[in-house]
Order: sequence, then C-alpha cells, then structure tokens
Amino acid sequence: MKLHSIGEFEELVLLMVAALHDEAYGVSIQDALVEKLSKNINISAIHVALKRMEDKGFVKSRFGGITEDRGGRRKKYYVITALGKRMLDSQYELRTELYKMMPKISFGR
Amino acid sequence: MNVKPPNWPLRFLRWFCSEDYLEEIEGDLTEIFISRHEHSPAKARRQFFWNVLKHFRPEFIKSLKLKPRYNPTIMIRNNFKTSFRNLVRNRNYAFINIAGLAIGIAVCTIIFMIIQFQSGFDNFHSKKDRIYRVLTEYHHADAATISYGKNVPFPMPTSLKTAFPQLEQVTPIYASHNDELQVLDDNGTPVKNFKEKTGVFYTDPSFFSMFDFPLLAGSYASLKDPNNVLLTKEIAETYFGDWKTATGKSIKLTGTYRVGAGLFQFPPIVLKVSGVLASIPANTDFQLKLVVAYGTDFTGDKEYGFQNPDWNGTAPDYGCYVLLPPNISVDNLNQQLKEYSRKVQSPEKKDSYIIQSLSAVHYDTQTGDYSNKTISRQLLNVLWLIAAFILLIACVNFINLSTAQAVNRAKEVGVRKVLGSNKSQLQMQFIVETFLIVTIAVVLAAGISFFALPSVNRLLELSLSFNVLNNPAIILFLLTVTIVVTLLAGFYPSIVLSRFNPVNALKSKRATGNAKGISLRRGLVVFQFVIAQALIIGTLIIVKQMDFFMNQPLGFDKEAIVNVPFRPDSTASKLANYLRQQLLSVNGVQAVSFSSHTPVEDDNDMWSTFKFNHAAKEEDFQAITKFADNEYVSTYKLQLVAGRNLQQSDPTKEFLVNESLVRSLGFKKPEDILNKEVSIWNGLIKCPVVGVVKDFNDRSFRQNVAPLLITTNITMYRQAAIKLATNNMSSTMQSVKKIWEQTFPNYVYDYKFLDDKIESFYKQENQLSQLYKIFAAIAIFLSCLGLYGLASFMAVQRVKEVGIRKVLGASSGNIVYLFSKEFIILITVAFAIATPIAWYYMHQWLQDYAYRINISWWLFAAGGLAAIIIALTTISFQAIKAASANPVKSLRTE
Repeated sequence: MKLHSIGEFEELVLLMVAALHDEAYGVSIQDALVEKLSKNINISAIHVALKRMEDKGFVKSRFGGITEDRGGRRKKYYVITALGKRMLDSQYELRTELYKMMPKISFGR
Repeated sequence: MNVKPPNWPLRFLRWFCSEDYLEEIEGDLTEIFISRHEHSPAKARRQFFWNVLKHFRPEFIKSLKLKPRYNPTIMIRNNFKTSFRNLVRNRNYAFINIAGLAIGIAVCTIIFMIIQFQSGFDNFHSKKDRIYRVLTEYHHADAATISYGKNVPFPMPTSLKTAFPQLEQVTPIYASHNDELQVLDDNGTPVKNFKEKTGVFYTDPSFFSMFDFPLLAGSYASLKDPNNVLLTKEIAETYFGDWKTATGKSIKLTGTYRVGAGLFQFPPIVLKVSGVLASIPANTDFQLKLVVAYGTDFTGDKEYGFQNPDWNGTAPDYGCYVLLPPNISVDNLNQQLKEYSRKVQSPEKKDSYIIQSLSAVHYDTQTGDYSNKTISRQLLNVLWLIAAFILLIACVNFINLSTAQAVNRAKEVGVRKVLGSNKSQLQMQFIVETFLIVTIAVVLAAGISFFALPSVNRLLELSLSFNVLNNPAIILFLLTVTIVVTLLAGFYPSIVLSRFNPVNALKSKRATGNAKGISLRRGLVVFQFVIAQALIIGTLIIVKQMDFFMNQPLGFDKEAIVNVPFRPDSTASKLANYLRQQLLSVNGVQAVSFSSHTPVEDDNDMWSTFKFNHAAKEEDFQAITKFADNEYVSTYKLQLVAGRNLQQSDPTKEFLVNESLVRSLGFKKPEDILNKEVSIWNGLIKCPVVGVVKDFNDRSFRQNVAPLLITTNITMYRQAAIKLATNNMSSTMQSVKKIWEQTFPNYVYDYKFLDDKIESFYKQENQLSQLYKIFAAIAIFLSCLGLYGLASFMAVQRVKEVGIRKVLGASSGNIVYLFSKEFIILITVAFAIATPIAWYYMHQWLQDYAYRINISWWLFAAGGLAAIIIALTTISFQAIKAASANPVKSLRTE
C-alpha cells in the first residue's frame, strides 16, 4: 500500500495529536497549537485536517462521555495510529537527513 | 446551563452538517463559545457564527440523497383516523366549529359570487378592450366642478365618423323608456298590448359588430332599413308564442323621447320583426328586449328628432359607442376629441367630450348605464371586507376552541412525543384534523349557499346560480378557502399543541405558557366583538336613516295618492277634462290633478335656466320646472306662504315658485317676489309669479331642496294624481282602472302609489340595510358561538374552583357573576374600540345625504347593550349549569 502524503498543517495537527495523547480533541488541539505557534488557527481547519487524516488512517477516534459544558455533546478524542506514527517518523527522518546535508554555511553575523 | 449559543447559526449547522460530524463540531463550537462568552458575549456570538460558516464546506455537508424515514401515507391515514375519532368524541366542539366555519364560509362564497358576477359585466364581448363610450364632460358655471354625462349631442355619431376615420366603428344608441307595444295580426289589427318600461333600444348594425349578442334568426344587416326590429327570444315568445314564427310579423310601437325639457311623441309606427336575438345574458348593461333600426321614427327625423344637426340637441340616454383600432393611444384620442369639441360647438359652451372604456362603465355610478345596475367599486370593497371579517370571526372561533381544548389533549401529545413523534409530525396531525373540519364545513357551506342563493337573488335582484359546471371559479374559490382557512385556523393551535413538554403533560401539570394563551384568546374575543358591534351599530344607524327616509315629513301629502301615467299625445289633452269628471265621480276619489311630475322626483326632473324680472342675463342657477294644473296644490296639500294658487288656464299665464327660489334670488320676504316676471325657454314662456309655496323636498334626501317653478300647460301633463279615501281602496282602484281602460283602449294601464315611488328612490340603501342586518346577525351569531364554546370550556376547567367556592359559601349568583364578569369586561373593551370605528364610517356614509339623522349616543348604547345582553345570555347557560352543579361531585375525585 502506498503511503499517503501529508500536508504541512496536517503534520502539525498529527504531531499535536500524538503529543496530547488521549486528551486530543478539537478544542484541546486548537488551544495547544495556538499556544505553540502563537498564531490564530480556526477550529474548522483542525476539523478538516482531522477528518482527512482519519480517512488516510493516520488517526483514529472514539467518543468520550457527555459533559455539561459542551451543551451535552460528547467529545471526540483522537489518537495516532501506527501508520500515523510511521508517517511522522519518515517525515522526521527525511527532514533530519536533509538538514544534515546542509553544508556548514556561515551566515556571517 | 444558561449560556446558549445563538439559535439561528446552530440551526443552520444542524441543517447542513452530516450526522457523522455534527456532534463533534457542535460540541467543539459550543465549548469555544462558552469559554469566550465570559469575556465578551457579543464577540462570542459573532465568532460562533463565523465558525459555523467556515464549517460549511463539502467535507461536512450532508449527502443530498434523502434518506427514507417513514412512509408518510400510512401516517396521514392514521392522522385522519385519529382526527375523526377526536371529532366524534368531542361532538359539541366539533359541531360549534363546523357550524361556525360553515356559516362564515357560506357568507364568503355568496359574496364571492356577487362580486364575481358584478365584476364580470360585459366581459364576454370579444372586442371588449377596444370598445369605448363617448361621454360629455360638463363644465359648470362655477368652473370648479366637472361632471360627466352619457348623453351626447345628436350629430356626434355621424360627425365622429368623418372627423375620426381611424375609428373602426361608431354606433349611435338610444335607450327608450315606457314604450307601448301592440302585437298585430296578419290583417294589421291589434291583438295584444304590452308596455316595456325599459329594453327598447334604437341602434344600427354596427352595434352588433362591436358587441357579441348572437342572432338566432334573421340578420343584423336588416337594421340598416328603418322600421325593422330585432326581438330577443324571450320577448318573441311572450309576443308571438314561439320565436321561430316571429320573423316577418308586425308590431305597432308608440315610443316617446325626451329632448331638453320636454317629452315628445311621434305617431305610432308599425315595425317588422326582422330577426331574433339569443337570450341576453344577465351580466351586461345592455338589457336588450327590442332593437329598433336606427333611423326609424324620431331617430330618423331631421327637424324634431335625432338627425337634428344642432350640437345643443340631445336626449337622455342618447349615447355613442366607438370601437377603437388596436394600438391607439386613448389619451391622444381624448386630446383630439377635446380640440374637436371646441371646433364644433358654439363658443360660449364649455362642454367637451371624452371616451371611457367599456370596463369602467359598470362601476361608474355617477354617470350610470342603460340598465341602472352600476355598482361602485367602493361597495364591492366593503363587501369583500365584510366577507373577510366574517371568515376571520369564524377562524377565531376555531382557534379559540382548539387552543382551549389543547389542555385536554396534552396527555395525547405527551404520549405521542414519548413514543417518538417529533414536532412536525404532531403539527401535521393537527393540521390534518383542521383540514378535516374545514372540508366538512366547506361542503356544508356549499349546501348553505345553494339554498340561500334564491333569497339573496330576490333581495339584490340578481340572478346568481350555484352552478359548478358553468362556473368552475366557485370550485377554485372553495378550494382556496379550504386551504387558507386550514392554515389560518390550524397553524396556531398546531404550534401550541405540539409545543407541550411531554414530562409536564404526562404529569398532568397544566402546560406552561397558558396565561399567554388566555390573553391571546381574550384578544381574539375582543376582536370578534369589535367587528360584531361595529356591524350592529352600523346597522342601527342605517335602519334609522331608512326610517327617516320613509317617515320624515316631505312637506306634502304622499299618503294614498296614486299616479297613473298617460300618453303625451293630443288625445290625452283633449280627454283630460272628461277624464277628471269621470274619476271624480268614482266613490272614494277625493281629488284629481294632472301634472308633468310628482312633487318629488329622483333625477327625473326638468331643469330650466331662466331670466328674472326682465334681466338681460340668465340667472346662474337652474330651477326645476313642473307643469301642473290648479288642483296640484290641493291634491298634494302644498302650503302657500304668499300670494295665491295658479288659475286654470291654457296658454301658460302664471308661475308658482318655492321659498328656495325666492332665497336664491336674494329676496328676504316671499311677498317681494310676487308679480315679478320669470322667463324660461328663451322667452317662450314669460309670466309673472303669483304665489310662493312653502319649501318641500322636491328631490330625494340625498340633495337639498332645489329652486322650483310650477306652471300650467295642458300639453305637458303626463300623469294623473288621484287622491284616494283610505277605505275601500281596492274597489276604488278597480273603478279607476275601468275608466282608464275605456278612455285609453290602446294603452296598458299602469299605476304607482306615490309612497312606493318615494321608497324606490332608496332601493340601494334598502338593499344595503337588509344586507347589513344579515351580516350583523351572522357576525353576532358566530361571535356568540365562539363565546359559548369558550364559556363551556371555562366551566369544565374551573369545575373544582367552583366546587370549592360553593363549599366555602358562594351563592349561585356569585358563581354566575364570576363567569360573566370577565366577558363583560372583554365586551366593554370591544365596545370602546368599535364605537369610534363605527362612528367614523357611518358618519362618512351619512355625508351622502343632505337630510340625515344625527348619530345620537343612544344608538351606540343600544348597540353595546344588545351585544352585552346577547353575550350574557350565551354565557348564562354554562354559568348557571356550573353554578347549580353539586360541589360534592366535582370535589370527590382528585
């Protein structure tokens, strides 16, 4: 099976899902990303990314229990799959490899 | 949780978002919203909306394929079944609902048919859009006022043809009145006499190329030759028995015509029947009976008749119709007509001519038409309004009763909701139930209208028929009414009913928001009674004004006076004295007077301009001119305030005038005018004033007393006024008839009592008052029906309260008072609203009459009191029943 490609934003979301492990759902992912990136991210973008990655098999989801503070709606928690982890690994390797290929250039202070 | 995300974006989200993602997205958005809400609610709401919008993308939108959820036909069938059971269970409510709606819808249907008939006049002519009639635009001396008349100068038709060759057809038409006809046998001897009050028209074949009146036999072209006549099928059958044999037969016609001030007559002529027209439909202003070829008799006479080329000559009901070519500018043509009228008329006359489309004729009550059937659009609008109001009252009843009943059905709704019905299904159920009731009501209403139509026809002199095959619009109307009433009456109750919270409903807690429902119901009752009371007050005022028309002294005697018209030919003048002697010899005849007019006429008067006291110029007002013998004053018991009565004389020698004329001329005392000369008809009649009569109503109460001139002239007398003794009137009338028929063997004897004639001036008012009576009765009946339902419902609802009150010592009177108090307050509020409305409209209506009643306060009081009494009687059944019930029974079971 050919490995699906992954977009830059999707990769960020996937990393965050992995990082938040078991506590990752729409709002928590958004909050964490906003904090790390210090830029505004719309919740719809996160929902789209999660949906696409779920289709590709990078994440899987389950529903949590009912809580009052969401108008009685359940949270949908995401966890990273083995495939997702492999995708992150390969992306990480690719980047480090490329990073290492970079000659030691001085940018001159 | 009291912080809730905004409703509309949330609904939108739920609407478009697929089930798979909805919970997650809605949950996340709500969470964000709640956390933001603490900082800034407005911003949070805005952001929520934005977030929803941003989710509106293909990934989350529902697939367009509709999922089959349930089989709707089975559900609807079940709805019908339960609705039917419900109706049977609550028979009383169902009866009130259906009866109320049926009556309301029946009234609407009948009004719809009246309006449909009235607005369909002369609609069947294929060229109707291009047919116009020529009107004379009178510019009155005081310059400010313009009025229109349907009479045109005699040369109009022929000169229009030459001056405006673009006109496709130009038709002269003359509607004659009171024609005497004799059917002749093959030898030319008279067989039967007939009199046609209306329906004899003189016109040429071009009339029939304009208007579509089909011919059964003969040809239209025969009207080119004088002395030919077309009969309608009905007339042919009355005259000759069978219309097929009528063609070729002869009839003798004695027609009269009025020119300017006088009524004239040519010697009788023999007409040949040259064709038979099919029956004339009821919805045309041309109620043809006999169509005489234009050019016959006086219509062909150049000197005294209608071929006179004088632009000042005209006759009442002498008109002209034109057929315009397609695509011509009417405004442009009117402009040309205006210029043309300047050219042809003598310079001092300011009248001009204008064309009016056929579609406007029927609504032009000012100008009138040939059938006296014009109806104002305003009256039609009022009818519409009343129809709508009565239907609304019926709907209000329905809404009131169903929301009142809603509480009883709360359990049913609760169970249905628990079993999984959603709101829209419940609403559907109640709409279906309403639909069932409305359908039954509509069917009943159709039946009621069918049986009520004959009386409506009699009252309004119409010929409507409830024939669905001829008139598919009725079906369409009834269908529309069904749908509109279903929605109007069913919508609100269905919402109220489907809104019940199942938990409360099943715990048999009274549904919340009931107080609101009651105030709405109160509002609706007030609304009903505003309409009902306004109608009652209006009716009282109309009836009072009608009573005033009939009983207000006119200033002359109208009791037991019978008027018999005779022909204006020379024989009558010769016979006058003989006739008077004969009549006076009859036992029971007290006085006989010959005159041109009765003291009071409605738009039938002869008006003259005159010069006073040798003045060089004519006075700037006109006076009604009546010709009468010396017995006129005593027969009608007119009062003289100065001078003396006329003396019998044949060339005209003296004038009587009325006080109004004296005042108009600027004299203070009536004596001052005596022996001054009055000259009318360009000096043709010139003689002194010998007496002044006290003002009497010489026109209908719509108008003020007009200046009046009375003088003798035997050739102008057209009728005998016979004052009868009040006992043995019928035998006296028999003798009068006998004398008359001996004296005038060739003419139909015809008479009219003066008070009947005066009553006929107010025919339309009379019809209106009858209609109002009916409408007011129906409105109050419907309102009471609703009130009855509401009261009985209240009695059921408050049965425990009443029980407790009685146990604690309330008397039956107290309980009845308890029930009545609320309704009396409601009706009083309605009265307060209805009074100014009724006052305003009735005040407007009364402005049409120069002589009118004062709207006194007791009319309103009577209207309000009547409404309260009727309403209390309605409630009292329920109130007394509730008050006399044994409290033990109501309190025993909890």
